Amino acid sequence: MKPLPITKKTADNIKQRELTEPAPIRWLLIATVLVFLGFFLFLPLAAVFTQALEKGTTVYLAAILQPDALAAIRLTLLTATVSVPLNLVFGVSAAWAIAKFEFPGKSLLLTLIDLPFSVSPVISGLIYVLLFGLQGWFGPWLAAHNHKIIFAVPGIVLATVFVTFPFVARELIPLMQSQGKEEEEAALVLGASGLTTFFRVTLPNIKWGLLYGVILCNARAMGEFGAVSVVSGHIRGATNTIPLQVEILYNEYNYAAAFAVASLLALLALVTLAVKSFVEWRLQEQSGDQV
Amino acid sequence: MSIEIDSVSKNFGPFPALRDVSLTVPSGELVALLGPSGSGKTTLLRIIAGLEKPDSGNVIFNGEQTTTRHVRERQVGFVFQHYALFRHMTIFDNIAFGLQVKPRKGRPSKAAIHARVHELLQLVQLNNFAGRYPAQLSGGQRQRVALARALAVEPQVLLLDEPFGALDAQVRIELRRWLRQLHDEIHVTSVLVTHDQEEALEVADQVIVMNEGRIEQGGTPEEVYDRPANPFVYNFLGNVNLFRGRIEKGKARIGTISLDLPEYRGASDSPAVAYVRPHDIEIGLSRQHPEEIEALIRRIQEAGAVAHLELERRDTGEPIDAELTRERCRQLQLREGNQVFVKPRNMRVFIDTDYEI
Repeated sequence: MKPLPITKKTADNIKQRELTEPAPIRWLLIATVLVFLGFFLFLPLAAVFTQALEKGTTVYLAAILQPDALAAIRLTLLTATVSVPLNLVFGVSAAWAIAKFEFPGKSLLLTLIDLPFSVSPVISGLIYVLLFGLQGWFGPWLAAHNHKIIFAVPGIVLATVFVTFPFVARELIPLMQSQGKEEEEAALVLGASGLTTFFRVTLPNIKWGLLYGVILCNARAMGEFGAVSVVSGHIRGATNTIPLQVEILYNEYNYAAAFAVASLLALLALVTLAVKSFVEWRLQEQSGDQV
Repeated sequence: MSIEIDSVSKNFGPFPALRDVSLTVPSGELVALLGPSGSGKTTLLRIIAGLEKPDSGNVIFNGEQTTTRHVRERQVGFVFQHYALFRHMTIFDNIAFGLQVKPRKGRPSKAAIHARVHELLQLVQLNNFAGRYPAQLSGGQRQRVALARALAVEPQVLLLDEPFGALDAQVRIELRRWLRQLHDEIHVTSVLVTHDQEEALEVADQVIVMNEGRIEQGGTPEEVYDRPANPFVYNFLGNVNLFRGRIEKGKARIGTISLDLPEYRGASDSPAVAYVRPHDIEIGLSRQHPEEIEALIRRIQEAGAVAHLELERRDTGEPIDAELTRERCRQLQLREGNQVFVKPRNMRVFIDTDYEI
């Protein structure tokens, strides 16, 4: 006996039923995630902005425009401006070498790139104190030549470079590995130089991944606390970044000012998330194009 | 431009990809490097291109030492199996790339580049595709663009690495014929790597059969197909039936069949294997000759224009693969279960050295 034909609607319903969780479970899972996010993310963010604007916008602006706060903002921007480009160059070079070439020590390099992720930020800062502090390896030499690294801006920049090391590289390495090296080989065979190949073939292919890595790198560079705290010396108006300034204000019970300055970082977080989502969307489009 | 490969060897770690390989590609010829995976054919092609360096040996272009010359100075065109088109550039920019990256002095004007690109688009029959991107093209179209891109810089040598491997059967056949026509027009020295023996036999002037880093045989398609030098070549170039027997002082006895083989005149009594192609198996319904082998038809499979028969020998139970045209099969009214008498034609006998297929 021939089986009864199934209509498309029935087939879709069956598919729906059998391939997804039943509705109540789905809603339960989504609700759990939302509660979790709400508690750990939305609430704190809302709290920061509420507390910052509690005493009114005049107080808010005064807190941000206060000289020490401005100095902290300048230092944070300076740190980001130096460390992000440095790590950009480093990340691209490392990813290029790892994805396109074979060489001894490749896996060691990969491990080293991941090192800042596995080390506590406090230890990261401590490394530099041990190297460049007065009792450190290079301490005496630096003191003799009147160079200040620890408890000065150079130390802060160094510590930030270290902790933001991996972001660009880690984003680019799998991307470039999955893209292979055939396009580059094709360019070489056609007569292009190494540099031309890089700028005309490789770079355009990785631009969205690169942007993604830079955004993450920047967010971390501006928000780093632990490592910078160790090397900074907390000298008001000189060696405080925004996170450090927030800590000082809070410890002085100046909550309104503390939250006001903190709201700058919260704003940065929101902007970062927005740009990141946009880039992710573009990345998906790009990989969808490549059949 | 002629290519000479002189005693080239290459190892990847412990794996010997090429073992002391020597070969000459005369100017203007299309040579196919044919072999299974791991035979070293792609490695050899990449060494010719300059994308790999040999561990020892020489690569000589037109009499000039080229072994250490950088890939971008060799003036070769390379077509990759997966096209390797520049994904973020238009088809126009892809084809123009080689011309655009020439050093200032040798670079043609924008107008000249424009003209040349359109000339090539015309050649590969993709005139209206200049503004499209690779992702918008089918596999066959992409490969034609890749070919146009390689030809743009007027290379002296064209190297193709399994160019049709990633395409459907129909497109593969069309492009293969088209490539041959192109070669007949342009006469650029070409080396084609493939594992498809049909492709090699159809397209090439010379077929070089490779296995495990060595050249097994080199010759015209007729030579390697009709007069294979050893069991590997015979087996690789098509299906094969084996008949075992013995050979001594120039006379082979394969079952009931005797053959005179002068090339084995000096052979002492050794086991021998005779190789016969499925289409060289003659089938008759009644015994015409005492040498014929009695067999049972186990299965008839009519695939396309050819009927494949699976036979079983009465005496040993061993299988025999035969091929007939469908017409002939119908003429003889062959059915599964029929008893038939089989006579192998055109046997190629080799001394059995325990070669495993």
